[in-house]
Amino acid sequence: MDLAIKDVQRHVGKFIATIIGVGLLMSIVLIMNGIYQGNTSDGVWLIDNTATDLWVVENGRGGPFNEQSRIAEESWRSVAAISGVAKASPFISYTVQRRVAMREQQFAIIGYDVFGGLGGPGRIVAGRPIAQAHYEAVADMKLGLRLGDTLHLGVHDYTVVGLTRKAVDAGGNPLLYLSLHDAQEVLYDQDNRARERSRSAETERLIRSGYSSAETQRLLPLLSDGSGTVNAVLVKLRPGASIPRVAADIERWLYLSVYTSRQERNLMLEGRLRKMAAILGLFRALLVIVSLVIIALLIYVLTVEKIKAIATLKLIGASNGIIVRLILEQSIVLTVSSFLFAWVVVQLTYDHFPRTLVLLPHETLASFVVFFIGGMASSLVGIVHALRTPPSLALGG
Amino acid sequence: MHCARPLHSHSEADMSIVQVEGLRKVFGQGELAVEALREVSFSVEPGELMALLGPSGSGKSTLLLCISLIQEPSSGRITMNGRKIYDNGWTGIDVRRFRRENIGFIFQAHNLIPFLNARDNIAIAMEINGVHWKAARKRALELLDYLDLSNRSSALPAILSGGEQQRVAIGRALANSPSIIFADEPTASLDTVRGTKVMELLKRIAREQQTAVITVTHDIRMIEGFDTIYHIVDGRLVVDDAVAESTTA
Repeated sequence: MDLAIKDVQRHVGKFIATIIGVGLLMSIVLIMNGIYQGNTSDGVWLIDNTATDLWVVENGRGGPFNEQSRIAEESWRSVAAISGVAKASPFISYTVQRRVAMREQQFAIIGYDVFGGLGGPGRIVAGRPIAQAHYEAVADMKLGLRLGDTLHLGVHDYTVVGLTRKAVDAGGNPLLYLSLHDAQEVLYDQDNRARERSRSAETERLIRSGYSSAETQRLLPLLSDGSGTVNAVLVKLRPGASIPRVAADIERWLYLSVYTSRQERNLMLEGRLRKMAAILGLFRALLVIVSLVIIALLIYVLTVEKIKAIATLKLIGASNGIIVRLILEQSIVLTVSSFLFAWVVVQLTYDHFPRTLVLLPHETLASFVVFFIGGMASSLVGIVHALRTPPSLALGG
Repeated sequence: MHCARPLHSHSEADMSIVQVEGLRKVFGQGELAVEALREVSFSVEPGELMALLGPSGSGKSTLLLCISLIQEPSSGRITMNGRKIYDNGWTGIDVRRFRRENIGFIFQAHNLIPFLNARDNIAIAMEINGVHWKAARKRALELLDYLDLSNRSSALPAILSGGEQQRVAIGRALANSPSIIFADEPTASLDTVRGTKVMELLKRIAREQQTAVITVTHDIRMIEGFDTIYHIVDGRLVVDDAVAESTTA
């Protein structure tokens, strides 16, 4: 006779409610696991999915993702001229918040050389890559745009010609690919009225400083924005080219910083992602501890509730093994059922999360093992209480 | 009223199922020591009905705990079924096993396992004793039939009346065909009619199955027809002849 199951059957409603409660707590742990991995996965997605050997950025900067980097757009020509470089492309990346698909959204604009340059969308799930110099875009599906939709950015409209899936920047924001010049325009160009105001202010300042009208007209373009800058130059090396040598040449001759994709990845993991990973890791550990404490308390309460029955069983000669099995089995049923419930909840909801959740099977299994062992260990409180209960408790009123 | 009858003669003692000699139980030490049992001696034969009467604090619960092998006495000797269990210390016998094989318990509050139905409450005592669950359930149903409860076999304790619960508890006590039944205030939570019925059932069991029944009670109306009636006064066992005569008359 399985006493644990008989007891559960008697309180099946209460037990299910307990499983749901503990299961929801466990599902938060699994979601935190997913966010933890998703944070890392998002953080390096763009680096991992940009087919480049070297990232050339502003000297002394850890850009373009971990830190801001601005270099002259034309730098790519100088980089391309370095021995061992097969291809060099300008690259721009920045985060904006605009109204897209009827809602305010934060997303990252990626500008790249659409005519054979590096840094474009790796895999397009619908439509085609950008084929024109202007006013075409490839958007991630998370933005809610469809093929043929137009979106207004800056002073122009852009037509969505291709869609990507799960293409995100380091913050988990969906990507919008534009041609390099379109991206620069969106980043630096103001609308006509603002541009006019800025131009008048500059003109006034130059005239006040004593410049003639003709000189002012000549100088005005030189005072304009930094639309001729990019964030990085992406480099593909010739077969057999030495990465350290090419990197050293670029750093020495062009006075720029160079990182391999692995170094760029490490910059992100040890920099921007590290603190978040530590916070999420701490939350995970705390949630696991809280869950185990709650399981321990529940098992203890379940044991205390039937302490007189346990005393009676001991009095009529039940061995300690029977008593331990009664408590341990309930702990296992509670832990396993709750984890199963948590797993189902996460499977049903993870696609709807605003952040990317990456659920790794080995991590889910590890969580299960932690909960299983922890659940059994925490039932020790109940077991010790039961074993210490004197059979004489069954006597008397 | 006089002190408890001396032990049976040697030949009589051989017939005893329970034999207690010079049992003492002292709680605490030094000046704080309280002697709960003082040189208690008695014996019980198969099929004998014995009652232990006494007010609260007289030592009757301590005596029950000691002779049911739950609490260790301070000194003395306990022999059951011819086996020496306690001789100024446990003799090394597995008392929990001895209890489940030889002793049945009936409690004041019935103490049925709340999550087991009537049949399983009886069967569990046998399963604990190593009986296969099929055989245990079969015998449990037979016992329920013997106790006129065959129609309540699947009922949980919560929906059984107090009398029915106590009869199921008696069934559980009988499950392993014990030679001794200890009943701790078995009628205390029942009304007079149901209490009387339970006591009649215990008498029937003692007569039919030759089981010794040792009952602790405070209600002398319930022990009519008992073979031996002891009073416990300040930890000493005394025979109340008046009560014995009135109840056996």
